[in-house]
Order: sequence, then C-alpha cells, then structure tokens
Amino acid sequence: MTAIEVPEVDYTEYSNRQLVLVPLAVLALAIVVIGGWYAVTGAPATLGLEFTGGVELRIADDGSGDVEERIETAFDREPDSIRSIPADDVYVVTFQAADDDPDGLASDLQDQADAAGLSTEAIDQVSASFASDTARTAIFGIGLAFLGMSVLVFALFRTFVPSIAVVASAFSDLVIPVAAMNLLGIEMTLGIVAALLMIIGYSVDSDILLNNSVLRRTGEFYESVNRAMRTGVTMTVTSMAAMIVMAVVATLFGIGLLRDIGIILAIGLCADLMNTYLLNVALLRWYKFEGVKR
Amino acid sequence: MFERVKENWRVLLLVVVVLGSTVALFAPQFAPQTAPGESQGDATQGITNLQYGLDLAGGTRIRAPLLGYTATGVSFDGENPSQVASDVAAELEDTSTVDVNAVLNAEGGSEVEVTDASVSESEFRAAMDASGYAYDGIRSGVTQESRDAAEQVIQDKINEAGLSGGSVQQVQSITGEYFLLIEVPGQGRQDVIDLLEERGTVQIAIAYPNSSADDGTAVEEEVLTQDDFEDIGTASRREGTSGAYVPVSVINEAPEGETSPAHRFQNAATEYGVASTSGGARCNYDMEADALGEGSDSCLLLVVDGEVVNAFGMEDGLARSMASGGWADSGNFRLTTTSFADAQTISINLRAGALPAELDISGQGTSSTISATQGENFRLYSAITGVFAVFAVAGMVFLRYREPKVALPMIVTALAEVYALLGFAALVGYPLELAVIAGFIAVVGTGVDDLVIIADEVMSEGEVNSRTVFDSRFRRAFWVIGAAAATTIVAMSPLMVLSLGDLSGFAIFTILGVLIGVLVTRPAYGDILRRLLTVR
Repeated sequence: MTAIEVPEVDYTEYSNRQLVLVPLAVLALAIVVIGGWYAVTGAPATLGLEFTGGVELRIADDGSGDVEERIETAFDREPDSIRSIPADDVYVVTFQAADDDPDGLASDLQDQADAAGLSTEAIDQVSASFASDTARTAIFGIGLAFLGMSVLVFALFRTFVPSIAVVASAFSDLVIPVAAMNLLGIEMTLGIVAALLMIIGYSVDSDILLNNSVLRRTGEFYESVNRAMRTGVTMTVTSMAAMIVMAVVATLFGIGLLRDIGIILAIGLCADLMNTYLLNVALLRWYKFEGVKR
Repeated sequence: MFERVKENWRVLLLVVVVLGSTVALFAPQFAPQTAPGESQGDATQGITNLQYGLDLAGGTRIRAPLLGYTATGVSFDGENPSQVASDVAAELEDTSTVDVNAVLNAEGGSEVEVTDASVSESEFRAAMDASGYAYDGIRSGVTQESRDAAEQVIQDKINEAGLSGGSVQQVQSITGEYFLLIEVPGQGRQDVIDLLEERGTVQIAIAYPNSSADDGTAVEEEVLTQDDFEDIGTASRREGTSGAYVPVSVINEAPEGETSPAHRFQNAATEYGVASTSGGARCNYDMEADALGEGSDSCLLLVVDGEVVNAFGMEDGLARSMASGGWADSGNFRLTTTSFADAQTISINLRAGALPAELDISGQGTSSTISATQGENFRLYSAITGVFAVFAVAGMVFLRYREPKVALPMIVTALAEVYALLGFAALVGYPLELAVIAGFIAVVGTGVDDLVIIADEVMSEGEVNSRTVFDSRFRRAFWVIGAAAATTIVAMSPLMVLSLGDLSGFAIFTILGVLIGVLVTRPAYGDILRRLLTVR
C-alpha cells in the first residue's frame, strides 16, 4: 500500500495575478462581512456573555421531560437563549446583562430557578463594565501578539517581500475565521480569543516552512515549493483533524471553551492552507523571479 | 558504554523527563499539601497528584473591584494624614471621616481615598477641589493599603471557615484597575457571598484592678459592641514615629431618655480608671494569663469572638477630654498601637470581617460557580475530548506515512510531551482547568507538526545511510522548528500576563509544551528516527 501523498500542484499554469486573486477576494469578502457587522451591530462580531455581560446558568435535566417548559416559565426575565446539551443532561440558559438593574441578577435568577424546582449546576455572571474591560484587553492582547509575531518574522528573514507575505497571510488567517464566525452565528468568547492567538502561532509555521524552503535551500523554485507543501499540508491537515474532532466531541458534551477553540482553529487552518499556497507562493514567486532583479 | 550514552543522550533525556514526571504524578512525597484539619485522602483528588481547578472540581470564583475613588499625587501641605482625611470628608455630605483615608507616601505618591460607595467621582473631585489640597488626578478604585487589608480580611475568613484550597489575590487589568480574585473550591456562589458578608462579634471591654479577685483583675464586659461604632477607618501610620493608629467613631446620638454609646463609653472609661483628669491609663496586660500585669492601670480590651486580641491604654489628651465629659460630643478616637501591622489587625478585627470598601460583584465583577458533579463531568468529558483529538492526530499520521517505524514514535513522542506537562503541573501544584486541557491538545497539535517537519526533512532526497547526512538534514529541520516555536511563544505570551479569564493557564501550558518539545522531545524523536532509519 502506498502512503497518501499530498498532490503536487503545477503552479506554472497560473499567473501570479490568478493565484493571488482567490485569497484576496476571500479576504476582501471577510473584511466586508466584519465591516458590515460593525456597521449594523456596533461590534465586529457577535459578542458572547464574557464581552457583553450577563448571566449563564447550567440547569440539570432531571428527566421529567418538561424541563424546557419549566425553564421558560421559571424566570421573571425572558432568557435570551436556551441550549440543550443532551450528552451532559443539562440546559444552558443565558441572560444578557440588564442595563436597568444589574444588581443581584445572578442571585435572583438562582432563587427563581430553585423556586421552580430546577437545580443549577453552574452559574456564570459577568457584569457589563467588566465585560467591556475584557474586550479591550482581548483586542490589546491580539494586537500585541500580532505585532510580536511580525517583528520576529522580519528578524528571521530580513527581506521585505517574503516577510510581508507571511504577515499578510497571518492577517488573513485571523480575519477569515472572525467573518466565518459571524456567518455561522458563533459568539465571540474568551476561548475564541485564545484560538485567534493560537492561529497567529500555528499558521505562521507553514509559511515559515515555505519561505525557508524557497529562500534558504538550494534547488529549483517549484521543487522547493512542492517539498515545503508536502510537509506543510500534512502538518496543517493533521492539526485540523485534531481540532475538528475536539470541536465535535466538545460540542456533544457542551464544553464551550474547547468547542470554540476547535472550530476557530479548524477554520483558521483551512484559511491558512489557501493563504500559504496561493497568496504566499505567488508573492514568493514574484520576489524570486522579478523582485530580486530590481 | 560511554559512547552509546553520548550518542543517545537526547533519548535518555526524554526517558529521564518521563520518569521524573511519573514520580511527580504518583509519588506521595509530591502529593498536594493538606489544609488544617484535612486528611491526605481529601487533599489528593484521584490516584494522581494532580490538582483540579474550579471548572474541573466544582467551586466558585469571584472577581470584583473594591468600590471607591482615589486622588493621586496629593500634596498634604505639611498636614498630617488624618487632618487631610477629615478636611476632605468635611466637604462630602453624609460621609464620615472613616470612609475617607489619607495615605502619606514618599515622593509625591500620597493618596486620598473615599470608600463610601454612594460618593460619585464628580462629588469626590468637587470635595478634593474644595478641600484645597493639590492633587494629580482621580482614579477609580481604592489605595494599595485598603486592597491589602481587604485581601487579608478575605483570606482570614477563608482560613477560619476551613475551606481548603481557597485563595484570594489581587489582579490588575490593562486599564490599571485592580480586582480581587477569590476562588473557593467546593462552595456555591451564595455560600461564598455570605461568607464575604459575614461578620464576627467584636466588643471592647475594660479590665480594671480588683484586689478581691484571684488574679487581681475584674472585667466590665461590652462597654462598646460593634453596633456602637459608626465607622471604623483603616490603619494609618503616625507621622514621625513607628507607631500607627486606627480611627474610629462611636455613635453619639441616642433616643430621648437613653444614654448614647459614646456617653456610656465615656462614663465607663472614667468610672473604671481608664481616663481621669490627670491623664490616661498605662496598660500592661498579660495576654497569657488573661489578667492585668504587675502595676498596670486599667486596660481597654479588644475582644473578638470571645477572645481578647489586644489591650491598650489611653492617650492623655483623650483621657482628659473624656474625664471632662466633652469627648462624647464628637465620639471620635484613635486606637493607637506600636506597629502598623498591629493597627491593621485591630482594624480588621474591629470590622469583624467587614471589608474596608464594598466588593462590587454584580456591578463591575464576574462570578462563576460550578457544582461538584458538573466539575467531575467536565473532567471526564475533557479527558475523552483529549483522547479523541490524539486519535485523530494518530490516524492522520498513519494515513500519511503508512510506516509504523515513522508514525509510531511520532505519536509516542507527542504523548510523552503531554505526560511531561502533566508531571510539571503535579510538581508545581498548578490546578488543571479546561483551559489547561485545551493547551495540552494544542501542544499535541504543534508537537506533531514539528515531528512531521523532522520526518519529511530527514527522509527527503533519498536514503539516509550515514550519520552525517542525517545530522545535516536534522539541523535544517530544526531551524524551521525553532522559528515556529519562537512565533508560538511570542503569540501566546500576552495571554500569559493579561488578565483574561483563566486563559493564562492555556498560554502557560502551550508555551511550556513548546519549550519541552524543542528542548527535549523533538531532538529525541530525531535520534529515534535516526536509529530506525540508519541501523539496518
């Protein structure tokens, strides 16, 4: 039996312009989606509890069959969402922060749940002002990580075009998952922030591999690209498999943090495949055959 | 022999790390420390020495700021801090002196805080302006001293309640605001809030010489109880001395026909010889014997939950104003001590568990509670998730290489990395949380990535038949791995220090995993691969 091989792509059939077109179009689309989201909702993504403030309760399903109806009637306030997690026998009920009366909301809700005979397994309460602080910290953290990565990449390669190719594809790798989240209706959570930071670290790997193969190794350009691609695609697909499995299993069990990290990394790595082997390759080819001569 | 060790030292290092992790995970010497009154079995969760955080064991985490405003860089114009505090308080309606504290620090770092939650920032600003003291600016939050006091109060309460593993610490957000982070395993949200709001009983008694008693001491109980105090300030330093004091004020108003607490205290102090027209009592109380020492005057006793925690005399000026009957009109006095630490203890005791400022949980804080059963479920589920993720990686690697010689060591090496991280967690007692588990899975992902780079690089361009060929290829692969590791570390390091939920655990373990990978496991995989490929 032969091993599964990464297919070789004949890049000579496509011009640089053609190669760059797809990733740039996707990036533009993603930016439009995020921009539109910002214009309509006032935030670049649908913000989860940790960024808006509110209360999330996990209520045990006692098997009586009418828990969902009881949840709907138990609280004075209308829950913003009720999700069922069958594998864990719980319902996740969320309430957005009330502007009028944030005080004691979590305690009130717990009392109301107790009064209705519902047993709460977990309560998360985030106040609105803490949430906005968290959002600022998260943006700051992502910005800092991206900046640090960019500086490091420039220090490693010391040439402008190959370095900017890595930074550009990393940027696109960050933006595309956020746009995808909006379209899929996934809320921005702390887990997603962690995943975005992880994308900065992960996605750069295959770009570095490609640049290293083309710039620092002897051999013909297309041979170098294909060699890097064989390794790089294996890496990325392996990581994607792990993340998809993690997302699926964690969704079944209702572990939000692991699910969020899994989904976003899977999308980010997918975007990375496209950006590395279309955008980055095209930029490198231009640099190798035309840019250097100037 | 020595040659072989030298040749395979990378593999040996990996073996040593794995053995070390096994010891850290299972040896009873590394078991978690027990809290007072807790058996070893209670402290150890499961068969390993691993400790679990709140989301995997159940418990409550509260993160909230202390309410108040602080004026920074205040110029005291040579006044003493208490004068400054009372000047500022005078400009605030319905706010007594003890809700305003002034802290004298060197080099323009002096601060004035207001801990009355009903005072708004603009009101405080107006009061500062009206008081005439120059200041740099106003920030929300309280002073370092008050935060430390609050932290101490909460820690004491957690210890007293015998809640093992409970902790409190100060964390700072990027906007510079301070939060108290309180974690109590195994307790529900309401239980913890009740604990934070609970107060012990405090009273002030007077011990006076009585020759008919066995130990020569008689005690007049409950001269003041905690309900008699209007306010209790935070400990302050006395200027120019090493001493300190706690400002307190006693209620000096009473309904018609009754004596106010302040008047009652004044009368008792005079009656039992603490205060007289000639001056105040010099106290020498023997805490061991619970009696007045040799030649001691009467003493004021601070009694917390039935136990005498401190005894003190009275300053002459105060004593004279008590003896003349004028003191009760204001009701303010200072409990003086010889050290700042004592003053802090007294302040905390007098408050009997009340925090120096209000902990704003619902307004600006977060809280999260997970029941023990839910925590245990999460523990199982996250383990299952991790195992599935590893299977996915293993499956992909086998599909790609179809050669157990390459793939199997890859999986084993990646797992060794996680095992080493678990050992590290057990060694330093870092509690495992969902975020840490996510970090483990990320480590498996990056780890295998790098092993793929090594394998592909080594096996490219035909057979590996000599050590030199192998080494040069391995070194080439390592440049990429090193660069990739560096970017991951750079990308994750902000998360390690920023206060973003419990994500610092994710960052710490991802970075640690990358480091162990680059320094130990990936070189070892190279050696294993070399043996398998070059030795026929």
